[in-house]
Amino acid sequence: MGFEEVRFEQDSEKAIHNKPLQKALVNVTNRFRTARNKASEDVPNWDNLRAAAREIKKETIENLDKYLLMLEERVKRAGGKVHWAKDAEEASQIIVNIAREGNVKSVVKSKSMATEEIELNNSFEDAGIKVIETDLGEYIIQLAGEHPSHIIAPAIHKTKEDISKLFSAKLGIPRYDKPEELTKVAREILRSEFLNADMGVSGANFAVAETGTIVVVENEGNARLTTTVPKIHVALVGIEKLIPRYEDLSLFLTVLARSATGQKSSTYVSFITGPKRSTDIGGPEEFHLVLLDNGRSKILASEETRESLYCIRCGACLNNCPVYRKVGGHSYGWVYSGPIGAIITPQLMGIDKAPELPFASSLCGACKDVCPVKIDFPKILLELRKNVVESKKGSTGIGERFGIRLWRFTVEHESIYKITNKLSYYFQLPWKGRNGKLNSLPYPFSRWTDQRDFPAVAKKTFRERWKNNKGETG
Amino acid sequence: MSNNSREEILHTIRKGLEGVGKNEGKVLADANRNFHSEAEEVHKRIDESQSALIMQFADELKKVNTNVIETGSKNEIKESLLGLKKEKELKSFSIWESQFLKEINLKQELKDAGLKLVTAKNKNRIANSDIGITEVDYAIADTGTLVLLTDKNQPRSVSLLPPIHLAIVRPENLVRNIGDLFVILKSKLENIEDITSCMTFITGPSRTADIELSLTLGVHGPKELFVVILS
Repeated sequence: MGFEEVRFEQDSEKAIHNKPLQKALVNVTNRFRTARNKASEDVPNWDNLRAAAREIKKETIENLDKYLLMLEERVKRAGGKVHWAKDAEEASQIIVNIAREGNVKSVVKSKSMATEEIELNNSFEDAGIKVIETDLGEYIIQLAGEHPSHIIAPAIHKTKEDISKLFSAKLGIPRYDKPEELTKVAREILRSEFLNADMGVSGANFAVAETGTIVVVENEGNARLTTTVPKIHVALVGIEKLIPRYEDLSLFLTVLARSATGQKSSTYVSFITGPKRSTDIGGPEEFHLVLLDNGRSKILASEETRESLYCIRCGACLNNCPVYRKVGGHSYGWVYSGPIGAIITPQLMGIDKAPELPFASSLCGACKDVCPVKIDFPKILLELRKNVVESKKGSTGIGERFGIRLWRFTVEHESIYKITNKLSYYFQLPWKGRNGKLNSLPYPFSRWTDQRDFPAVAKKTFRERWKNNKGETG
Repeated sequence: MSNNSREEILHTIRKGLEGVGKNEGKVLADANRNFHSEAEEVHKRIDESQSALIMQFADELKKVNTNVIETGSKNEIKESLLGLKKEKELKSFSIWESQFLKEINLKQELKDAGLKLVTAKNKNRIANSDIGITEVDYAIADTGTLVLLTDKNQPRSVSLLPPIHLAIVRPENLVRNIGDLFVILKSKLENIEDITSCMTFITGPSRTADIELSLTLGVHGPKELFVVILS
């Protein structure tokens, strides 16, 4: 996904006025939220599982070099090849080279945020190699020439009418309007792509250091096809996806499925260790693991934000974020959206490229409460805000600094505080609307009132009411 | 090029983690877990609750749109398959050459009943067979999950490419939960080289909700899943 600079303010403004998108956002986030809540309540010791998962991720990240070397050794022992890519460009180059050496004409892909991150499809196309997204949502997005808007449900911003028109225009077929019919069309087209493809590219949800196994979780079966049918399988895996031990999977698979979609288990989980064995019937002859850094290793140096790398990409923080629920995925400007996007995009791409994102949060902490590895989002957001301000790219200008100083002066002097309190009631009157709230303040406060009302200052101050009621409520 | 990046990445990681290294030697330090004795304990617990597990497993399967066939004998497997042949107008099948399926001679019986056997060696042909028949290595009761291990007699595509997948589960395949499963798998993992190239968990038929969150079955994998539970 093309990345230049995040324009959160501009893009979120557009999103808020996009009615179909607003409806879709409510539907998808409510559905996933309800399902997640129910699924987590079904597990009696849910919070203990989260704490245990966090502990294992902490251990992994704090020993990342050792576990990466172990993973490398085990994958090689199983007959696979391991490649290391320091950035997006190198990762794409490695994968395109594997394709060239294997004389690959067409590639099938299963859903992978990492491949979105490195814009792999562009590199294949530049090299004249056909590449097809096979996750239904991703296929729709690829046909439309757009980008995913949700980690789990990438095409959720499109209605079935949109998709019906799109299929008809791009595939030259009659209009089908039912989701089942559209799905059937996609199944038939994609099935023949699978059978003809020379190479499959997948991501991974986990990579197990102890056994050299990569784990892919899905519901559709396209990842199984991608990793089974073509003669070459390439898995692109971020270096933070490691977990140490085979048995750790029982914990992580339990929290992942429930946090992502509220399922007890996703429909399919594939545990892939190397290429097919000589006696196996079917399965890829070559297995390549491409380990992607692309800015991740740099995050380790900050003790405050290191835990950003614990993320297992379940999407629960998106569904529970009051900001994401209004502005949608595209506003975050890059592949990762919602709270996780707000913390990792600035860290992976550089804080100067996304200075607005750490501020795209109300710091309510709903993300932290649902995170299966208990990432402390508010703490990280504050740390990043500090970095933004220190790098002078931030939103504190002279006005803001002056305002804060004035505020400080006022609250430090009781008599001035009292007078200001009283005066603010009268000062606000010209802007007070019929509903008794402030609904159109001048700039810069208009940035609030353009979208919503601001509660008016009451005539009686809290201190006066307290005095009148003699401390009793009412 | 790639080799330089390897060193560069490892170097950045080590530099970033300077001062954190208190975990020296903690890597994989859970050697005090004895998976052999844990697995014995797990098997004991499973044996104690087997009939309850079968019921729970069947219930969970039904929740994920799976057709459950409970049978008492090996003969009934054949009969229910013949019923299915009629109902779904099956003409061809592919099947694992695994030990239990050989024991019950299912392949021959289906051939005798007029179904055409499709070899798993050709992906295009297997994709065109009407049903894929497997057994399972394990079955997880509390999630309704089938666990299939790939080996020379158990090709991956039989449970993947045909539009219908039928799996036969025996009581001894059942485990209570995913925790049990990994204790057992780990206790059997004497040698890293012996690990299968592909283990697959299957919980229900292929599904998607990518178009307006509307649940649609059979988007890529089998549209229908039948599980025969032998009791």
